[in-house]
Amino acid sequence: MDEETIKRFEQILKAREFYVVGKKVARVDALDAVLGRPMYTTDLLTSKALYVRAVRSPHPHALIRSIDSSATRSVRGVVDVITHREIPGVNDAGSLTSDRPLLAVDRVRHYGEAVALVVGEDEVSVDEGIAAFRVEYEPLPAVFDPVEALKPDAPRIQEQGNLINHVKIRKGNVEEGFSASDVVIRNEYRTPFMDGVPMEIEVAYAYPEPDGTITCIASMQNPFDVYNKVTKVLGLPPEKVRVIQAATGGGFGPKSDESPIDVAAYAALAAYRNRRPALATFTREEAMAVQTKRHSFRIVNETGATSDGRLLAWRSTLYLTNGPYYSKGHLVIQRATFHCTGPYEVPNVWADGYAVLTNNTLAGSTRGFGAPEAHFAAEVQMDVLAEKLGMDPLELRMKNMLRPGSLTATSQRIDDDGLVRCVEAAARLSRWTERRREHEQFNRANGRYRRGIGIALLYHGNTLGPEGEDYAVVHLSVDERGKVKLQTGLTEYGTGALTSLAILVAEALGIDVRDVELLRPDTRAVRNPGPTVASRTTVIGGRAALDAAAKLRAILDPIAAELLGCRQDELVYRDGKVMVAGDPNRSISFRELVRRAIGMGLELKVEGFYKAPDTKWDKETGQGAPYNQYTFGALVSEVEVDLLTGAVRVLRMTAVYDVGKAINPLGLKALIEGGSIMGLGHALTEEFLLSDGVPVTLGFQGYSIPTSVESPFEIVQEVVESEGKIGALGAKAMGEIPVVLPMASIANAVAHAIGYHIKETPLKPSRILEALEELGIAYRP
Amino acid sequence: MARRAAVRTVQRRARGPVPQAKVPIRVKINGVEYSHEVEPRLLLVHYIRDVVGLTGTHIGCDTSNCGACTVLMKGTWGNEWRAVKSCTLYAVQADGAEIITIEGLAKNGELHPLQKAFWEHHALQCGYCTPGMILAALGFLKLNPNPTREEIRKGISGNLCRCTGYVNIVKAIEAAAKEIREKGSWI
Repeated sequence: MDEETIKRFEQILKAREFYVVGKKVARVDALDAVLGRPMYTTDLLTSKALYVRAVRSPHPHALIRSIDSSATRSVRGVVDVITHREIPGVNDAGSLTSDRPLLAVDRVRHYGEAVALVVGEDEVSVDEGIAAFRVEYEPLPAVFDPVEALKPDAPRIQEQGNLINHVKIRKGNVEEGFSASDVVIRNEYRTPFMDGVPMEIEVAYAYPEPDGTITCIASMQNPFDVYNKVTKVLGLPPEKVRVIQAATGGGFGPKSDESPIDVAAYAALAAYRNRRPALATFTREEAMAVQTKRHSFRIVNETGATSDGRLLAWRSTLYLTNGPYYSKGHLVIQRATFHCTGPYEVPNVWADGYAVLTNNTLAGSTRGFGAPEAHFAAEVQMDVLAEKLGMDPLELRMKNMLRPGSLTATSQRIDDDGLVRCVEAAARLSRWTERRREHEQFNRANGRYRRGIGIALLYHGNTLGPEGEDYAVVHLSVDERGKVKLQTGLTEYGTGALTSLAILVAEALGIDVRDVELLRPDTRAVRNPGPTVASRTTVIGGRAALDAAAKLRAILDPIAAELLGCRQDELVYRDGKVMVAGDPNRSISFRELVRRAIGMGLELKVEGFYKAPDTKWDKETGQGAPYNQYTFGALVSEVEVDLLTGAVRVLRMTAVYDVGKAINPLGLKALIEGGSIMGLGHALTEEFLLSDGVPVTLGFQGYSIPTSVESPFEIVQEVVESEGKIGALGAKAMGEIPVVLPMASIANAVAHAIGYHIKETPLKPSRILEALEELGIAYRP
Repeated sequence: MARRAAVRTVQRRARGPVPQAKVPIRVKINGVEYSHEVEPRLLLVHYIRDVVGLTGTHIGCDTSNCGACTVLMKGTWGNEWRAVKSCTLYAVQADGAEIITIEGLAKNGELHPLQKAFWEHHALQCGYCTPGMILAALGFLKLNPNPTREEIRKGISGNLCRCTGYVNIVKAIEAAAKEIREKGSWI
């Protein structure tokens, strides 16, 4: 491709006013959803399918002594039983690390681990078959606590030991920092396992094609992760497996990890062995038992400051409780540790982050990827420090927050003023000072209710950074009608990110966004674009989409220039036309230009690519620049605490984020609302409880996510645009970000209301009541 | 073995282990009459999806918590339309009833005011809860055509959405309520 054209194209986009970007655009794919058209995996079944379900371990850690499937095989309607012995390829289902078998061999390491698959004509016969399946287990000593699991005599869950990553930060001299401090505080923070709970349960449908290909349609974030493992499990040549992402009812991380690989492999194995279509799905309870959870964290923060509130030293020790297999735990601890000080400049930092295998449920990616937990511990710590210093929490933050020229905990220099602008806007919009005073006045009435206001600030290292190769591929083709088809292995699962890609392409080609059609992700049609995780699609995928558009322009520009009799750099693409700058009468419609190009035998089919610069940091000291850019934000929450029941009601949230560049403002606003409420659930109700490794909060009756009545009536929003270095048109990552701050912000608001910082989430009524009793302020009518 | 029961399916309990004699039912769905012979313990949601083939009604749990399977129904408890979670009923309980699913809302190529409002107000993200949410909203608006935002929130509190935080859903229902009142026709 013509490098010069691409460069010029980028300059044009940067220089001019936008016609589609930043305008209100409806989701391009929402119409099917409101009409209830078939789009999700189970809607797409073409013929009667076999049904597959796993026989699962009731033990968190046990040896498998024997397996007897004879009774199962004699159940009417059961057609096949699959154990690890029947796997034709490799028994490997680990999403990143090959440490997790699809079906247990001689040992199970967590409750619900799959031991065998039962395949039958329908759900009822499969369940009968599972009930008849006999496994003799010999329970093994198990370990559930990360600190216990690190002791030398702890049960060893995998060969290499239970510690799977130790992330370090060594900045300055932390001992000197503490000795120079007037005030030093030390607190321990805890967060439980939580579940992303996408509304659509894991599901996959597989069928054999006449040529022997196994095609698998499923609900997932990463078709290529699924494709790679299904190909490996089946032992088929790569061209004999095809994976297509159906519309996916929510992702939130779990659908980027282990369970989508499992269901797809179950369906594919059954289809392959029985030469018939097969459907694999979980029940909600089964999904909650085995889909990867948000890790439970234990974080000790020790902070030193001068009496006027300047941070001097920060020591963090973080324990991440992983399941028995890596999944993404070794990466989540890295993000949590890198963000352990919150968005503040601290000259001396010492941090140790440990990711530890246990026999708890599988844990992995969940929206935020360790950042919500790190921010909870850092931001409550800042509030406790403010109280100790007798300072306003906002003032303490403003004194220490990352400004242009500040160095983060990893000594990465911050160039932009995104955080400063967010904090100033949040203080103004929330009327911080007045509201604080009003709530304090309200509380002096000393009735049944107390109110409080709290703030938390955010920085979020963008996209993958140290978590993997940060590249994307987007394919574009144009047909004779001038319709642009956009296809990529990056997936849509609710965030609207693919609409952002369509907007960028429409902008670049001067066409209406409705003339960009999204095609389904299909491993046979697209190259592996990297995973759809880490809020990457708009930022990194957007660059690939722009690159693809530039490549189309490189084909079309010479033709247009010749037709219009102008230089290529005089061409303007706008309103469905290509015209000469300054002379709009000399123009040709985009459709006509396309038709001519196709008539000349040119193929309007391009592949856009972008790869973010590799990031560098030192493994021993954590020092360096682990991320290419940072998103910033500030969230103010106001709450009312019922001193009789311990219930917390969130009255209002004020959310300000530095998004770099708002590509799709409607989608962005909705995303911030949704993420804020998901975070509210994390703060107030959500905890996935296990009793010695056995889940006790399965299903929505056990695990409470916010309903419409628990959500606040008002979320005030403002967006700041402080251009990022790498994102499309300066965009910064936003997909996960809104879920990062609510735990911290709401906890600080509750503390303002009741005068005490609870350092463990969720802030459920029983926990609040316990604190109220301690404080002697529980309301007695 | 009590532990194992927790991860086993709830479907089995609902449908029963022993195949039973089939029962004839007649149901009118979206204005179309259907007659089928069904197993007595077939859930209404499975009947709508698997037997009739209308897959817009979704399943998000097996325990009547999420509301993804909500449809409108008339004739089971009196002659008023009401929103029901179709996983809480057997198909045989719908014998003689009338049902409206998401597929029955758009008329003559025109979106129902709720569908239009959900689309225009960005009231959905992944879209999975949307059909159930729209029908729950419609059932609620039938009872309370001119609700406050707080009443709307209470009205749809039996339906879970993990993506939107409900903010735009409430706005969409408010806008649709206005349009329905102006039109004078709720369906």
